[in-house]
Amino acid sequence: MLEVRNLSKMYGLGDVQVRALDDISFSIADGDMVCIMGKSGSGKSTLLRQLGLLDRPTSGEIIIDNEVVTKLSDDARATLRLQHLGYVFQEYALLAELTAHENVYLPGMMLGDKGVDFKKRAKELLDLVGLGKRLRHYPKELSGGEQQRVAIARALINNPRIIFADEPCANLDTISSRKVMETLVGLNEEMKVTVIFVSHDPEDKRYARGLIVLSDGKMVKEGAPIQ
Amino acid sequence: MTRLLKVATFLALKSIVRGNVGIILLTIFMLVLVTMNLLFVPGLINGATMSMNTILIKTYSGDIIIEPGGDDTVISHADDLAQSIESIDGVIAASARNNINAYVTFEDERVNCVVIGIDPAQERAVFEVADSLIEGRYLDSRDRGQILLGVQLAGADLDDIELYSSSLRHVHAGDKVVVTYSNGIEKQYTVKGIFDTGFIQTDVQAFVTDLEFNSVMPNMNNKATSIRVKLEEGVDPELIIERIASMRSGLAFQTWDETAGLVESMTESFILINQILNVVNYLIAGITVFIVTYVDVVNRRRQIGIQRAIGIKSRSITISYLIRALFYAVIGLIIGILAFKYVIIPIEARHPFEFPFGPAYLTTKPAYTARMAFILLSVSLVAAFIPVWRVMRIKILDAIWG
Repeated sequence: MLEVRNLSKMYGLGDVQVRALDDISFSIADGDMVCIMGKSGSGKSTLLRQLGLLDRPTSGEIIIDNEVVTKLSDDARATLRLQHLGYVFQEYALLAELTAHENVYLPGMMLGDKGVDFKKRAKELLDLVGLGKRLRHYPKELSGGEQQRVAIARALINNPRIIFADEPCANLDTISSRKVMETLVGLNEEMKVTVIFVSHDPEDKRYARGLIVLSDGKMVKEGAPIQ
Repeated sequence: MTRLLKVATFLALKSIVRGNVGIILLTIFMLVLVTMNLLFVPGLINGATMSMNTILIKTYSGDIIIEPGGDDTVISHADDLAQSIESIDGVIAASARNNINAYVTFEDERVNCVVIGIDPAQERAVFEVADSLIEGRYLDSRDRGQILLGVQLAGADLDDIELYSSSLRHVHAGDKVVVTYSNGIEKQYTVKGIFDTGFIQTDVQAFVTDLEFNSVMPNMNNKATSIRVKLEEGVDPELIIERIASMRSGLAFQTWDETAGLVESMTESFILINQILNVVNYLIAGITVFIVTYVDVVNRRRQIGIQRAIGIKSRSITISYLIRALFYAVIGLIIGILAFKYVIIPIEARHPFEFPFGPAYLTTKPAYTARMAFILLSVSLVAAFIPVWRVMRIKILDAIWG
């Protein structure tokens, strides 16, 4: 269970304070697939970064499995990200010097669970996202859609309970977008991974079972998407 | 900790193997130059010091100098004592000497010097002056009326020598000079030979046989103002001094290094210069590693942010940069040390640096090399740590998106 209570985030722009998130509260059940929508600048990505523990909110709490994670140290947050959370960035965010295979198994290497062959698991995950034959390719040798699928495989390497995807199809063509979204849906349905993704494309609502709509940093809607 | 190191090593290796080869080679090249520079100056100083010490021992002092102790002005029964000293294990030879101040005159030039009475055979066994003749021949035991002059005293028309202007300038082997001793006796001598050891303090001396000396100073028969002792290599002079002191009391002893005042002050100056140059070299090494690491972390700020975002611990990323810095420094050190030992030293040995006291050969001391390597590695680590530490303090989002 992921729970958000009265979450606010202020940014300082010179002397001006901008309220990017304003008193947001909601909860997401395990195994859910939730889409965060809103216009550009509404605070979608800011919210996802708070949930993914990449940033610290100005006030409010994020609770994962009854543990308040907002006050954890940087090191503890890094450990939590490594063990339980997977993050898919809008711009793929792969490491250029590593092959697709290495990009995927690096977080597994960091976690280093005894008995887990993370190299083998990385290969299986790349098979799962349809890139089993491109293990030795570097990011620059892959298309945008392929890079995003490598990023998804990387997010899965440590068996995360929640995957955060920040506009995962923003830079992709229609076919690649569909493949990426179908991959996320498949993970949610088959592996019961909670998926929370941000999108500005109203069409993407159809992949989700829950919807959060933001406007000017405020949550204006929570619930099931209207098909 | 093992996982941190494992991931750090993995990131460092990938970065080295797949990084910019030109930058890696340039960095290593800079560290090779720094290493060779760190070895060169102390190597030269060691070489020059060794050269100076060797020439001092072989032409001026011997390994041990024995002089009269207390109120005595001479060592009595000097020949007997020299023979007894030569019977001690570790002693090669001992030579009794007598000194007297004198003026040497040639044409219009008059120069003050020390004339030393010697047994030529014993002197040959202790010193190498006989091998440094540039004109004429060395003294024979039975020589009378013959004198051996140092080049700085004779001049020998060599106007490029250090003390030419205060020498006799034009004296050559076979010329006749007049010696006026401090006891008032004046004698004419034929110059039998002129020597040039390269050590100025030796090359201002004049030698006559003890037979000749006794004719000038009859009361000095079987007496000596000093005895010079040559030891086998590696023999501790203090042990020999103990043995000699047990044979005869009332003697004063000096080891060769206690007479090396000039050499010592030169060495101290060299060491100070070396320390200043070393600080500059370590700074250059540090700045090189700092710049390379700084440019790298600035260029990879986003990648570092991504690594942190996917759960790679900051410590792992920091250690990966330290491993890279160590890699540069270790490779630079290895190549630098090998190049110095197997290229620079052999070349310099064929074309040694010439000093007034002779050629200086580059040498390395393992202890110094180890200390230098340790400092260079430490400097590289600190220089790499600073820029990485600064980037690690940036928030993940700022690192990724600026």
